[in-house]
Amino acid sequence: MRTLRFRLLAATLVAVAVALVLAGLLLAGLFRDHVMRQFSQGLNAQLDQITARLEFDAAGQPQIDPQALTDPRWSRPYSGLYWQVDGANSEQQRGVLRSRSLWDATLILPSDAVADGVVHVHEVTGPDGARLLLVERTITRDDLRATPWRLIVAGNLRETVMAVARFKGVLAASLAALLVLLCAAALAQVAIGLAPLRALQRKLTLVHAGTAQRLDGSFPQEVQPLIDDFNAVLDRNAEVVTRARTQAGNLAHAIKTPLAAMSQAAAVALQRPEACADLATLVEEQVGLARRHVDWHLARSRAAAAQGVPGARVLVQPVLSGLLRVMERVHAERGLTLHCTPMAPDLAFAGEAQDLQEILGNLLDNACKWARHEVLIAATSIECAHGGRMRVVIDDDGPGIDSDRRDTVMARGARLDESVPGTGLGLAIVNELVGLYGGRVRLQAPPAGGLRVEVELPRG
Amino acid sequence: MRVLLVEDDPTLRNQLRAGLQEAGYVVDEADNGRDGHHLGANESFDAVILDLGLPVLDGISVLKRWREAGLTLPVLILTARDSWHERVAGIDAGADDYLAKPFHMEELLARVRALIRRAQGLASPLLLCGALALDTRSGRVTLNGQPVSLTSHEYRMLSYLMHRPGTVVSRTELTEHLYAQDFDRDSNTIEVFVGRLRRKLPPETIETVRGMGYRLATPP
Repeated sequence: MRTLRFRLLAATLVAVAVALVLAGLLLAGLFRDHVMRQFSQGLNAQLDQITARLEFDAAGQPQIDPQALTDPRWSRPYSGLYWQVDGANSEQQRGVLRSRSLWDATLILPSDAVADGVVHVHEVTGPDGARLLLVERTITRDDLRATPWRLIVAGNLRETVMAVARFKGVLAASLAALLVLLCAAALAQVAIGLAPLRALQRKLTLVHAGTAQRLDGSFPQEVQPLIDDFNAVLDRNAEVVTRARTQAGNLAHAIKTPLAAMSQAAAVALQRPEACADLATLVEEQVGLARRHVDWHLARSRAAAAQGVPGARVLVQPVLSGLLRVMERVHAERGLTLHCTPMAPDLAFAGEAQDLQEILGNLLDNACKWARHEVLIAATSIECAHGGRMRVVIDDDGPGIDSDRRDTVMARGARLDESVPGTGLGLAIVNELVGLYGGRVRLQAPPAGGLRVEVELPRG
Repeated sequence: MRVLLVEDDPTLRNQLRAGLQEAGYVVDEADNGRDGHHLGANESFDAVILDLGLPVLDGISVLKRWREAGLTLPVLILTARDSWHERVAGIDAGADDYLAKPFHMEELLARVRALIRRAQGLASPLLLCGALALDTRSGRVTLNGQPVSLTSHEYRMLSYLMHRPGTVVSRTELTEHLYAQDFDRDSNTIEVFVGRLRRKLPPETIETVRGMGYRLATPP
């Protein structure tokens, strides 16, 4: 059920089988109607001949001269072609005149009277138990006293029924042959149609095994976009791996320096115990340095991962409410009011969720660290020369930052106040991330005091 | 106050235990997620310090299982994973606070104190009961503004009672929260310490509720 081949084949086979069965039924029905019509037309012609040979004697009794009827079947017993004349008014007058072929049997008709001259068709059982098709016509002599007579001609249906059966046999055989041919065609079609997918599978195996870097070759139009996307992912993956290696190298390098300094100092302290006090200070200092390197490189690698993801889109509201839940817990002791102005539920950022979390998380964390009573958050959609953008404004009622120092805090590792815990990298990371997305961060002093951070980012 | 510490790094665990014990907490430890989960689910703790990167069962799963089982004890996540999306995941899994490594012991202690206090619905770090005042930040107890000198055991007991003013606290509950799991619980030390504490406080401050336990009298 899972394979495309099975699905395609099953659908085709069901459709073809249904179509062929319907065609068979229709053709058989048409053929039967046609043969029956021809047969009854033949009987009508015979009836006309009988009608023409009908004469009446002086007593008004009908007479037919058998010699005048040329068809030999009229005289051969049970030949399958019969005529008979009945009086229309009474049962006693049934079979007044009969063809020799009837021998001593009589055709028995339903006694339904019809208007003069109109031909009436019945199916009845004949003298030898065979099924007969029967046509009759009621004739009345032109004087008023005369009784009406029913002229009857009947023919055996055996030949016709056999012809229909033969036709049905031939028809079924040809349709079955057609079904087989169509099935073969469907198999061939599926095999040819799915060939590119099998080729794709082989190439994927190569990529999986590591012998190929990407999916080469051209594929049908329907598959090509998928291949292109997949190649893009593979390329990006390779790029990310390279970048990750570089980042890891940079980080290792950055940490090895403080490690070397500490190991050097430890060696000195081992030889000169009086240097132990210096060692503690140095360790504290170098650990702090290493920690900042780690934070910085982690943030950078997160930021780098964000680049070049096409079509990434993340809704702002869920990200913001998740962060607000964190702020409410982590800064619970501060008793702050976090107020988020309702925003459009479909407001989205054109980038990765983790980056938006990193940007807004750092900004909100800063605001919560410094705010006295409340933090206000508002996110809106704006239009500008660079296309659709979104703006997030975060206000706190803390001490704010003097205008001449606002540029300093954006720099890497800058901290204006060492008394509040933090790494001093928050705003620098935000600045870097926002820069990567082509947005911008601005620090402002709202009229009511405190600090306003305004971030503009591409809108998704 | 009894704290569960789930941390797999032995050096950090020892430092944390020492710091917590110095601050007057009774500490039970686990070095993997399964043991940590088992302890948290079966023993009474006032707070949990939970690492995320644990062997056998990771911290987020431990926390989710506790919360699914209806355990409401306050949990502080202490981890080196400090990206914001990990913080959101931690808080949404049911954590009450999140502290990133490396950290300062003072900040950790302040957060644990605040967690325990908030878990009892107390907003202020200064606990009051009539003329008696207990400052959770400094660990000082004053009576009518005059400092009361208490041993660490006595402080722990008073602190536990003052976090639950007007509530009857059974002897078992006191034993469970004031001593680690391996403590010999058959001894009558609780009565001894209640007796000593009563001598340092105004009469009737700690009431005995017959057959049930002790209660800190709330002034009218």
